[in-house]
Amino acid sequence: MTLLEQRRAPRTEAGRRRSPLGSRWTPYLFLGPAAIFILLFQGVPLAQEVYLSFTRTSLLNPTNSTWVGLENYVDIFGDEDFRRTLRTTFVYVVACVAGSVGAGLLVALLLNRSFRGRGVVRALVTIPWAAPGIAVALIATWMLNPQYGIVNRFLDAVGLGVPGGAILDSSTYALPAILVTTVWQLFPLTSVVLLSALQAVPRDLLEAATMDGAGRWWTFRAVTWQVIKPTVGLLALLMTIWSIRRFELIWLMTKGGPVGSTETLVIDLYAQAFDSKQLGTAAAIGMVGVVISLIVIAGSRLVTRAAEKEGLR
Amino acid sequence: MRTTRVRRAMVAAATAAGLVVTAACGSDSDSSSDSGSDGGVTTLTFAASTFGDPGRGPKLQEWLDEFNASQDEIIVEAASVPYPTFGQTVLTQMGGGEGPDLVRFDMPEFEAASDAGLIAPLDDLVDVEQYDLLEEPDRFMVHDDVRHGVIFEASNYAMFYNADLIPEPPTTYDDFFATAQSLTAGDVFGLAFRQTEAEEAGVWQDIFNYVYGFGGAWSDGENLTINAPENLEGLQAYKDLYDANVIPRGADAATFRRMFAEGKVAMELNNGGYATHLRAESPNLNFSVAPIPFPVRSQGAILAPIVINEASEAKEEAATFIQWALEAENQAALQEILGASSVATATERSPESLQDMPFLTVFDELTETSLPQVVLGFEAQTPDIRKIVVQNVIAALQGDVDLETALDTAQEQATDLVG
Repeated sequence: MTLLEQRRAPRTEAGRRRSPLGSRWTPYLFLGPAAIFILLFQGVPLAQEVYLSFTRTSLLNPTNSTWVGLENYVDIFGDEDFRRTLRTTFVYVVACVAGSVGAGLLVALLLNRSFRGRGVVRALVTIPWAAPGIAVALIATWMLNPQYGIVNRFLDAVGLGVPGGAILDSSTYALPAILVTTVWQLFPLTSVVLLSALQAVPRDLLEAATMDGAGRWWTFRAVTWQVIKPTVGLLALLMTIWSIRRFELIWLMTKGGPVGSTETLVIDLYAQAFDSKQLGTAAAIGMVGVVISLIVIAGSRLVTRAAEKEGLR
Repeated sequence: MRTTRVRRAMVAAATAAGLVVTAACGSDSDSSSDSGSDGGVTTLTFAASTFGDPGRGPKLQEWLDEFNASQDEIIVEAASVPYPTFGQTVLTQMGGGEGPDLVRFDMPEFEAASDAGLIAPLDDLVDVEQYDLLEEPDRFMVHDDVRHGVIFEASNYAMFYNADLIPEPPTTYDDFFATAQSLTAGDVFGLAFRQTEAEEAGVWQDIFNYVYGFGGAWSDGENLTINAPENLEGLQAYKDLYDANVIPRGADAATFRRMFAEGKVAMELNNGGYATHLRAESPNLNFSVAPIPFPVRSQGAILAPIVINEASEAKEEAATFIQWALEAENQAALQEILGASSVATATERSPESLQDMPFLTVFDELTETSLPQVVLGFEAQTPDIRKIVVQNVIAALQGDVDLETALDTAQEQATDLVG
């Protein structure tokens, strides 16, 4: 019996019996527990947050809410401090993404070369990523301490010392200090991921480019970048979302100060909820963060699809 | 047929799993506070940041043990919550109808909690008439004729100085400034105070002394007076010291207190609780205490009431503990533990304490001129006003605005806040 005949042959009783896992409901059954979990632990709190954002609710009396419609949103967008918070968040996120992906790419390119002790260097590079965020924040705070911090000693020695040495208490230098710390913690992850992407670049293409007389920059642009571009895009998306959400590092280093110069959305949210005890305002700020994250994800999807279409052409 | 059975079984399993998860989420305990009853013994939780104080914490635990030994049906357990997050942690719990049965609050949080109805009125639970309560601090425990707390600790602010570096303490602000300047050299600083936004509550405590010490006030009881000329003068004095670099800029309280203990900071304005802490942590440090040498004898005081959580299911038992704490011998024992602080009632200091810390009388003499660090007339809104004032004062310290503008801005923002 040929394969075609086998396919056309009438099925036996046993053959007709469908697998219990072959039902069209089966995928839903497998997805069910996860869906219930997400609905309960993310959907319900999100719906509650949406509701809270339209109310005036105090942390001290959370069961007694007053419906105020869009008042919280009008208030926060009318507040210059909140607009500053949005600007700070934007600067922080863009700098974190550019810094961590840029530094990660640079390190990955270096680690992709052959040299003695490469394995040890690769292992050492991952240390900042392995360190807990709280430990990183405390170490950075000690290093930046105006009295005995090594950073101030060094800056003083090279004639670049900050007056008084209080970097984290300066509205000019606090945000850059936090950014450097954040990038220091993030770049190992991006470098490791990009290193694996670099190792997937076909050698024959690189050799062909070299034989065609392409220089290093053109080889990187025409071959390497084309291969690692999707990975860079994914990393940029992840870094963006993580940077919008980042709390502990900023909170431990400056609590959003001085004078709000390091206050990002999540820091403002926390301060409104737990310092000012205004859950409604905090929920409205949280919703702004959710909308920004959704816009970033949607934008990323659009860019990816456009790139895929271009690739197909 | 079998397929249908299997499918039903799978649907049932998934539904059951979902219901279990749902039930688990909804099975929150009905109990409101942390109190519990087991075999006729009611266990109460008493939350205080001082339980974590290395100098006083263990002694306070012994004091609680004495109460527990005196009772058959009540046990009080200490819950130590760190000071920086104490108010936030406990108020969040109490706002959710949970939390400890007994709480030692600081004034701003006490006012916020009593305003929100989170504290049980004590009038029907504790008969305070039978105790000789200190009048000045106790008047802040009553709101609209309703008593919400009893003083657990009252600690006045004074000037701590290193007696090896400063044989005679300054008696005027000019002397104070000159002394701070003359002692600042290398890694030694003449003075230390809090000046970072990360220590908002601490900055508020520190600037309170400058404002009131120069004759100012945050309010006249009905209106905010944040930008009053006297306040500007006091805060200018604070800023002048900052600008003169006589303090370790950027150092937090933990750091500069360690520096004080090491002889690297000569003067510090602090409350009486610090004296006991220093004695325990740095027994060899030769320090003393004098009144703050500002033009007006008026300074802050840490008033820490003990209150009963409105959500507690064991209010009677909690009241029993407060009554025990107010008994003369237990007040005396508490006074010994707290050192330079005062307690709810008038007590006599032991000769041993006076010999060990002869400056204790300085603190006692300041009681009549000390005020809790709240905005009078706007007590419940003090944490929000504090945030506004501290942010603007720090903006002036950083040179972002001049001090007068900063106080005008703070006045405007705080007035908008309180309506």
